[in-house]
Amino acid sequence: MRAGIISFLLAVILALSFCWPALAADSGSITITMTGVNEISISLDKTQWPLGNVSSDTEYLTSPPIEWCTLTVTGNCNVKTFIVGEDAKWVDNPGAYKWTLSNSGANGEAIYGLWFRISGDTTRGYVPITKTESEFWPYSGGSSLDPGDTKQFGLRLLTPTYLVGGREMQTQITISAVAA
Amino acid sequence: MLRHIKLAGLIAALLAVFLSSFALAQSFSVSPKELKIDNLSPGEEAGFNLTIHNKDEAAHVFTLAAFRPREDERRVGKAEFPDASWVSFSPREIEVAARSEAKVEVTVSIPSDTEWAGKDWEVWLGVALESSDLLTVELYVRLLVSTNAAGKGRSNTGLIVVIVVAVILLGYGAYYYFRRKARLN
Repeated sequence: MRAGIISFLLAVILALSFCWPALAADSGSITITMTGVNEISISLDKTQWPLGNVSSDTEYLTSPPIEWCTLTVTGNCNVKTFIVGEDAKWVDNPGAYKWTLSNSGANGEAIYGLWFRISGDTTRGYVPITKTESEFWPYSGGSSLDPGDTKQFGLRLLTPTYLVGGREMQTQITISAVAA
Repeated sequence: MLRHIKLAGLIAALLAVFLSSFALAQSFSVSPKELKIDNLSPGEEAGFNLTIHNKDEAAHVFTLAAFRPREDERRVGKAEFPDASWVSFSPREIEVAARSEAKVEVTVSIPSDTEWAGKDWEVWLGVALESSDLLTVELYVRLLVSTNAAGKGRSNTGLIVVIVVAVILLGYGAYYYFRRKARLN
């Protein structure tokens, strides 16, 4: 009698010991963790460059050249920053005419160049803005931007060597940030 | 003749207008900056809220999208998120009044395929201010997603139940066998 009960209990314990890890994994609950109460934020004090009429194959600089716009880290976490550009499109008919954004900053027929330069960034100077997202403030050396940090920068535009006149062109430069 | 052509070209070029408007500031924030979902099984979904705080004096429209960062931008050990369409936003576009905040519901759904069990991924949730300005800002929230091995475990659940039942029946059989043997003795 006693031996029977013991053998039954042993069998159950043995079975549960094998099945427990699988059962535990199956019944695991989803956990969502938010890292602190930090918010991410950057702000720009200028978002437009009123150029007016432009000529072909001509270079334009913001004024002042490299302290035109100020980026401020307004959130409470360190950030990595990026910059990306796009083709300039004719406002009246975006599908009909565009200037392609150069990969190198050089211009061509219906190809325009855009650069940015950050005040204090003596190693890079003017950096081409391309359609591929790239570093805004170089953080490869561990230099992400801290809360309250500011960076002044300016833009340079090189118009296409040939362009169709009388058309209002529009483009956009996106500056993005992610927690470092 | 050459002088006339040059003049015509110059006039035409001067007519091109590039980016004319007024200067405005852009300022908004998103919280949290980073989220971690653990123990998500294939076939399951998890939801949470993002808060967008419009710090400007004017209302703005914000658009949300999932973005798959390059390897060197991801946290160490995190793989590329297989499909950005597994992340959905409700709403995908939201207008936030001046100096106020709004919440957006984010849902992450993993397809029920054992291929997606036991993975560690990173995907970025991009919040962009909709604007026709030359310069605009986009903020990314890091979302780290880890799936458990339950996908594989779940497929064995039936087998495990059968084994448990079989062992219990064997136990009962042994119990009654020994009991009967004891009575006969």
